[in-house]
Amino acid sequence: MTSSVQSMESETSNQPVVRSVAYQSNHGAGQVEDYQVIEAIRRGETPNPTVHPEVFDAQAVIDIQGFNLWYSESQAIHDVTMRVPRGAVTALIGPSGCGKSTLLRSINRMNDLVEGVRVEGAIALNDSPIYAPSVDVISLRKRLGMVFQKPNPFPMSIFENVVYPLRIDGEKRKSVLEEACEKSLRAAAIWDEVKDRLKKSALGLSGGQQQRICIARAIVADPEVLLLDEPCSALDPVATLKIEELISEISERYTVLIVTHNMQQAARVSDYTAFMYLGRLVEYGPTAKLFQTPSLIETEHYVSGRFG
Amino acid sequence: MSESERACCHESATRRRTLPSAIGEPMVWLTGGALVVCLTMIAVLMTMVVVSGSKSFWPGPIERVTLTDGEVLLGIATEHEAQTQETAKRTLYRVGNRDIGQESFRWVDDAQIASIETPDDAVMLEREAWGVWFGVPESIERKAGDGEITVLARGGDEVFEAFDALHADARRTMAQVKRMKKRELGSINAEIDRLRLDVRQGEIELARGDEGLFRFSWVIWIGLGIVAAGLIGLVYRLRSYGTELGSANARRGSVIRASGTIGVVMLILAMWIAGPWKGQGVSASELEALRETVAQREAELLSEYDEVLGRIRAIESKDHEFRLVVVEPTSGHFAPVSQTLSDEPMYMSQVVRLVRANTLSTGEKIGVYFSRWWEYLSTNPREANTEGGVYPVIVGTVILTLLLTIFVTPMGVVAALYLREYAKQGLMTSVIRIAVNNLAGVPSIVYGVFGLGFFCYTVGGYVDTGAAESARLSSAAWWAMFVFAGLMLMLGFAAKLWSKPDPGKSASGLNVWMQRASWLVWGVVLVLVVVLVTKTPYFHGFFEARAHDGTPTFGTRGMLWASLTLALLTLPVVIVATEEAIAAVPGSMREGSYGCGASKWQTMRRIVLPGAMPGILTGAILAMARGAGEVAPLMLVGAVKLNQDLPISTQAPFIHADRSFMHLGFHIFDLGFQSPDSQAARPMVWTTTLLFLAIVFALNLAAIMIRSRLRAKMAGPTV
Repeated sequence: MTSSVQSMESETSNQPVVRSVAYQSNHGAGQVEDYQVIEAIRRGETPNPTVHPEVFDAQAVIDIQGFNLWYSESQAIHDVTMRVPRGAVTALIGPSGCGKSTLLRSINRMNDLVEGVRVEGAIALNDSPIYAPSVDVISLRKRLGMVFQKPNPFPMSIFENVVYPLRIDGEKRKSVLEEACEKSLRAAAIWDEVKDRLKKSALGLSGGQQQRICIARAIVADPEVLLLDEPCSALDPVATLKIEELISEISERYTVLIVTHNMQQAARVSDYTAFMYLGRLVEYGPTAKLFQTPSLIETEHYVSGRFG
Repeated sequence: MSESERACCHESATRRRTLPSAIGEPMVWLTGGALVVCLTMIAVLMTMVVVSGSKSFWPGPIERVTLTDGEVLLGIATEHEAQTQETAKRTLYRVGNRDIGQESFRWVDDAQIASIETPDDAVMLEREAWGVWFGVPESIERKAGDGEITVLARGGDEVFEAFDALHADARRTMAQVKRMKKRELGSINAEIDRLRLDVRQGEIELARGDEGLFRFSWVIWIGLGIVAAGLIGLVYRLRSYGTELGSANARRGSVIRASGTIGVVMLILAMWIAGPWKGQGVSASELEALRETVAQREAELLSEYDEVLGRIRAIESKDHEFRLVVVEPTSGHFAPVSQTLSDEPMYMSQVVRLVRANTLSTGEKIGVYFSRWWEYLSTNPREANTEGGVYPVIVGTVILTLLLTIFVTPMGVVAALYLREYAKQGLMTSVIRIAVNNLAGVPSIVYGVFGLGFFCYTVGGYVDTGAAESARLSSAAWWAMFVFAGLMLMLGFAAKLWSKPDPGKSASGLNVWMQRASWLVWGVVLVLVVVLVTKTPYFHGFFEARAHDGTPTFGTRGMLWASLTLALLTLPVVIVATEEAIAAVPGSMREGSYGCGASKWQTMRRIVLPGAMPGILTGAILAMARGAGEVAPLMLVGAVKLNQDLPISTQAPFIHADRSFMHLGFHIFDLGFQSPDSQAARPMVWTTTLLFLAIVFALNLAAIMIRSRLRAKMAGPTV
């Protein structure tokens, strides 16, 4: 844990960028493969991640330190250390099974619900540790908003869906609930579409609308960070576009951490991008740099779709 | 792949022909045919029940049959039988008139019939007792108090006219008399009973004396009260202790709070059990005084009883003045009041209905039909259940079904919630699930035996008289056990707290052992509680006096135990249905709720339970349907052939859960196989079956309507 912190601070500038031609692929595409970092990870090592210095300039809202996670015996996250900057959109990208969703779910401790999960290391949300024994997981989750892959509105009215987090806190005043509902529906850019049918079931909406209801639900209690777990993977392109616009809008007020499979999406909506592979952080930096001038050949190939 | 290989493959890959077994056409016929067979059987069953059940009240023509040997009989043809090897072609006549010593049904060979006519003045007389009477109405007379007889009407039409004028009044009077007997005399009798039981209770308590059981003195009791109040205050002050600290402290805080609460509860319990005001018993002088007041009141009541009885007799004797003479053609006998008074004609008030079947228009026949149905649904049974109504039977069935649903649904739902949501899924839960499923396959009579042995005799006996004398613990042993149980409870709670690992950590050895220890301790506590309750020397039952008189209240078959037995019988249905419904609530919903910061219970209450509610109600409906149709266990735990005292009434305590009851299922069995007059009972079997079906359908329909309303409220269109 300590070693990785040190390395992060020292290595970002002097990490060698090797682009030698190793061997010709027998698939004949003339592809260059010298994935030193990836090969090391495949061998089971945990190489030091390449972190761009810009990340350290920003103030961190989530500070992950040497975080490891096991599902029973198999380790899903290996010694990840990263800081999520405040007031920006940070994207987690990487091929399937790279642990990006698991990392996201570790932040609001949704993984507690899975039998046999064990963690090491620390995560701090606004400087308060979230894995300390005295932390009340319920009140922790209230500080974070979460949106899932598949839109999951509850089988109740749109209004009740949005104010659910307030309801469970015992808020009964109608005026407060209505005001909060309208505010977050407006913030989720769906107020005009649903304002006349707030009492109707949320299940009658389209997938994209449902997902925006879920976003409204996630932000109604003013979370410190909004966690988005592949929020567009179950949506069509038009709905995806709307959600992306919404994310850009919301990021003016909230810190957003988004997991995505879609490289273009990461490029479009995020300010920072972290590339993960097999549970390790590989490269982390400003999105523009990561997509245009990445330090690692692996990252370049991954974001351009040549690998992964 | 080379050119030649490709060619070769192409050549060899000629299409294989379709196998005959791939042709699915016969399967369409087979499956469709099976469905048709099922539907036909259901349709036949339903038609049979509906047709046979609904025709039994239709007034058929009364035939006057003259046999070849000159005998004349009057009756209704109820059945025709084709020629068999043993018997000729024959007809079954309902001839009634049991009073004159004949069977009420009679087979007549068609060959012996000389002539059949349907005389206009033939009537079927439905009476309060002794079944129907066929005959010709002759007159209506009035017998004055001095024995003088005046004829009010004579012959056919005149009699009917007079009958119509007098009958309604006579019936009203009779209903009034019945009501007076039941309400006024009944309540006097009940009070006398109560008074006698009071005295009996006093005698028992005097004989028992002060048994030398431990009791607090007033001083100590008040001191304990102060301690309890102080403890409550302390627990309240500590309500947030440890919640801000690390996990070890959090646990310590929880243990202190929980132990304090357990201590307070146990202390209050002890103060209640061994309160200084208890166990004084009744002194000899008090009993004497009680006896005196009771004797006084009893005398009052008895004179009141005589007074009411006198009023009843007066009304009756006035009522008995009017008599209807209906003469049977062959013997010339008229329908008598009763067998002991065979030379007195029928009292008007004893006539339920006078049906002049042969001259009725269709409209009048429909009127008779529906008045019979109304009588059937709204009155008590007569004549060994073959006549009259089934009102108490309907009430018994409906209340039993509702009670069992009320018992089984919360019990099953809560059990299933724990099993699916809280319990750690593993070997134990699998074993429990298998056991529950197997419970559904246990023959229902086994539940009956269990209900009789456990509920009626064991639990009921305990409720009546407390623990048996020989089973009581000494008070020292009991209190030692009481304190030990309290300590174990605290210990178990602490062990359970330390069995949970810290967040993000896997369970340590200590956690695992604490888990096992907590299970062990819970087991010990359970055993202790059972022993404490069943062997307490401080409880003598709620109905001691009655039990000592040999008439147990709850220690015998009754509504409460029957509904609990059926609840147990249908429990697996509810548990399985609820579990499935809960499991069918998508995980994404739960995750969404947890993600919003909801606790487990909030998620269950706001997301899981509402989502599972239609499924849970389906389970409740299935349980209800199953329970409503059960008969076998009821025969052991409470259904009886005849009990006109309903399980609910307007007299305190309004719900008489200790009473035995009548049940439609058992009633059908009783009519079909236990009736002394099986021919008369047969149409009633069908009618009762039809009614039973209708009631079960109605109950189900009501439940289904509630469910669909709920469903519409819960969720919009499903995506």
